[in-house]
Amino acid sequence: MEKTKKSGSVLGKIWSQYSFIFVFIAIFAVYALVSSSLTWSGVMNIFRHTAVVGTLALGMGLICITGEIDLSIGSMLALIGGLSVMVFNVTGSIIATLLFTLASGAVFGLVNGFLVGVVEMPAFIVTLSTMLIYRSASQYICKLVPKDLIGNGSSVYKMNQGEGFKEAYNSLFGFGNGKFFTVPVVGILLIIVTIIFVYVSSSTKFGKKVYAIGSNKKAAGMAGINVQLNKTLVFVIAGVLTGLGAFIWIAMNGSCDPATTGKSYEMYAIAAVVLGGISMSGGKGKVVGIIFGAMSYTVIDKIIVALKMDSLIQDAIKGVILVIVILIQVAGPKLKESRLFVKYFKK
Amino acid sequence: MSLLEMKGINKSFSGVQVLRDVSLSVEKGEVHALLGENGAGKSTLMNVLTGVYTKDSGSVVFDGVSYDNMTISLSEKIGIAFVHQELNLFNDLKVYENIFLNKEYTTKFGSLKKKQMKAECKKLFDELGVDIDPDELVANLKTSQKQLLEISKALFFDAKLLILDEPTTSLNNSEIEHLFGILNRLKEEGTSFIFISHKMPEIFELSDSYTVFRNGQYIGSGKIADTNAEKITEMMVGHAANNGELYKPRKYGDTVLKLDSLTGEGFKDVSLEIKKGQIIGLTGLQGSGSSELLQGIFGTAKVYSGNIEVNGAGMPLNSIHKAMKSHIGMLPGNRKENSVVQDMSLLENMYLAEHTLSAGKFHINRGAEKKKFEDYRKILNIKAQSSDDSILSLSGGNQQKVFIARWLNTNAEILIFDNPTQGIDVGAKEEIYALILKLAEEGKTIIINTLEIPEIQKVADYCAVFYEGSVVKILKHDEIDEMTVMMYSTGSVV
Repeated sequence: MEKTKKSGSVLGKIWSQYSFIFVFIAIFAVYALVSSSLTWSGVMNIFRHTAVVGTLALGMGLICITGEIDLSIGSMLALIGGLSVMVFNVTGSIIATLLFTLASGAVFGLVNGFLVGVVEMPAFIVTLSTMLIYRSASQYICKLVPKDLIGNGSSVYKMNQGEGFKEAYNSLFGFGNGKFFTVPVVGILLIIVTIIFVYVSSSTKFGKKVYAIGSNKKAAGMAGINVQLNKTLVFVIAGVLTGLGAFIWIAMNGSCDPATTGKSYEMYAIAAVVLGGISMSGGKGKVVGIIFGAMSYTVIDKIIVALKMDSLIQDAIKGVILVIVILIQVAGPKLKESRLFVKYFKK
Repeated sequence: MSLLEMKGINKSFSGVQVLRDVSLSVEKGEVHALLGENGAGKSTLMNVLTGVYTKDSGSVVFDGVSYDNMTISLSEKIGIAFVHQELNLFNDLKVYENIFLNKEYTTKFGSLKKKQMKAECKKLFDELGVDIDPDELVANLKTSQKQLLEISKALFFDAKLLILDEPTTSLNNSEIEHLFGILNRLKEEGTSFIFISHKMPEIFELSDSYTVFRNGQYIGSGKIADTNAEKITEMMVGHAANNGELYKPRKYGDTVLKLDSLTGEGFKDVSLEIKKGQIIGLTGLQGSGSSELLQGIFGTAKVYSGNIEVNGAGMPLNSIHKAMKSHIGMLPGNRKENSVVQDMSLLENMYLAEHTLSAGKFHINRGAEKKKFEDYRKILNIKAQSSDDSILSLSGGNQQKVFIARWLNTNAEILIFDNPTQGIDVGAKEEIYALILKLAEEGKTIIINTLEIPEIQKVADYCAVFYEGSVVKILKHDEIDEMTVMMYSTGSVV
C-alpha cells in the first residue's frame, strides 16, 4: 500500500515537472497516425519549422520567468528582418547582416527593457506600444526607401541575388535551407541555442537571479539582486534572440514581408512557453519545456496539412489544445481535492 | 448607565485563548483609553465589538440593548464605528463619494443626487470645522485630512461610539492638536471614543478614563486623573520574570560601524558607535524609526544625510550592493515577504546573496555549494532533509536559519536582524537567541531590532530606545528592563 502510494507520487511529480514531454508525445502520436507516410526527413522538418518561433520563444520564456511579457517580438522580427535585408543588399556580407540582426535586436530589446525594468512601466502596455511601432515602422520604411534597396520588390523586402551578391545569397540561403547529415542546419542552430539557454537558466548565477525575481521580487532585491538591471537584461536577451530569429527567417525565405512576417508570433511564443510548463506569474518552469511547447505547435500544423484541413482552422485547434492542457494543469489539483473525487477514488 | 458594557469576554483561536474574561466599560461622552502592549488583546476585543470576530462567551450591552450575535453591519447600524490605523478609504473616489459609498442618495430612476450629497457633506464639514472640499479626490488629501474624513464619515451616520486605533501615528503636532480639538468638541456633544494609543502624553491629554490589558487579560481601569504614566506602564508590562541566563559579558574589538547623525525616511539624527563583537538592540514602538534605521543602513530605505563608516572607511549610502561589499548583511523583517523565495530550494535560497557578490564567475559549482550548505546545516542546526527541498517545507525557525546562512555565506561581518523571531515558535526563538550570542562570540557584530523587550534583555550589550524617529535613551545591558524601555519608548520620560 505504502509502495503504490509512493510510486504514484513520483509519477505525479514527473507529470507536473515534465508534462510538456507527454503533451508533445501525444500530439506526435496523433501525427504519426494521421500521416500517411511518416519519413525521417518529415520528422526532421519539425526542427526546421520550429526554428524561428522556437528561438523567439526562448527569449519570451526568460521574460515570463521574471513575471513579465513581451508582445513586441513578432513585430520586431518583421522590422529587423526588413532592415537586415537592406543591410545585406548594401554590404553583400553575411557576417555584417548577422551582426546587424543581433545588435539591432539588442537595441529594440533595450527599449522594452529600459521602460519595463528601469522606468517600471507595465510590460503589457510597453510592449503593446512597441509592437505597433515596430510593425508600422517595418511597413513604412519598406515603402519609403529606394526600390533597389529592397531588391526591387514592391511592399516586400527582397534580398539581392544579382551580380556580386549571388555567392553570398546562395550561401546564406543554403544555410537556411541546407541539411547537415539529414538534419536541417537551422534546426541544429535551434538545438544549440536551446542548450545554451537551458544551461544559462539552470546552472548560472544569472539564471538563478531571473527565477528569484519572478518568484519574489522583493526578497530578491533584499538579497542584493539588482532587479531593474536584470529585468532590462532579460528583455535585451529576448531582443537578441529575436534578431537571430530574423536572421534565420531571411536565410530561409530570402525575403521579409513587413505585413505578414512574424504576425502573431508573440502569441505562438507565449503559447509555447505556457505549454512548456512555465508559469506566466513567474518563477516557475523549465526552459527546455519551451522547445517542446514550440515543437508541439509545429506538429499540429503538420497534422492539419496531413488531414488536408483548411489552414484557416490551425489557430482554432492550437487554441483549443492550449486551453485543454492548461485546464488539466489548473483543474487537476482542484479536482483531486473535490468531494466527488475523494469519495470515489480515495477510499 | 454606561454606553458600552462588555463583560467576561472570552475568545480563542484554534485552541489559543487570546481574550480571557475581559471587561470594558465606556461612559457616554468620554474618551476611554484602551492600553496594553502589542498582542495584549486590544485589537481582538475591538474586532469582537464590531462583529469581525464572534466571541466565545461573555456579554455586550450597547446603549441599553444586549447583543449576542454582533455582525459588522449591525455594529455600524447601532452606531459603533471603527477608524482603522490603515484608513479604509478609496483613494480614487471623491471625498463625498467616500462618505456616501453604498448609501448614495438616488432619484426614483437610480441616478445619483450629487448636489444634495455634496451639500450635506459640506454642511457636516462646516459643523465640525473640517476644511476639506467634498469634490476633492481622496488621493489628494493629507493623511490628517483622511483621518478627519474617516471620523466625519462615522459621524454622518450617527455614530455614538468611535474606536480610534492609533490615530496620530502619521500626524504632525499641529495636526494632532486640530484633531484633538475636534474630538473634544464632539465629546462635549455626547459622542464617546475608545482611544488606542501607545503615546503617554497624548493619552493623558485627551483621555478621561482608561482600561489596561496584558496577555489577553483585564488588568485594571480607572480615571486618568487618578493615575500617572509610571503606574500605567507598570500595569501594562507586569512583573515579567527576567531570565537572561544565556547572556555572558564578552570582550569587544575596535569600532566597526559608526553612524554619524544619520537622517532618512522615518529616522532623524541618529549617531551610534558599535564595536566588533557587540550586540546592540534597537527598540521602539511601530514606526518609531528603529526598523527604518536598519533599512537605511542596508540601503533599502532612503537616507538623506549623515555618514556611515565601516572599519573607519566611509560607506556609500542608499545601495544594498555597496552595503554588502562592506560586509553588512541584513535579515529583513516579515520573513515571508522579504526573505522567502518560495519557488526555490534551500540551496538556491541560501546562495541568492552570495551570487550577487560573485556574479563575475558565471557558472555555478553545485558540488561546492552543496558542501557549503552541509557545513552551515551543522553549524546552525538546520533541520532539513535535503538541500534540494523547497524552502516552504521548513518551519519558520529553520527558514530563518537558512537566511542567516545566506548572509554568513557572504562573509558578512555586521549582521542586521530586523524582528528575527517574528512568527517563530518559542523553542525556535530560544535557539535563535543562542545563535545570535554564539555569532557575537565568534566576532560578528550584530544589530537587532525588536518590539519584544525580553528578547533584547536576553542578548543585547546595550539598547537604543527610539521615540518618534530619534534615539531617546541608551541603556546598558544591566539597565534594560521592560518598564524602563516602555517609559522611554512611549515618551513618558524624555
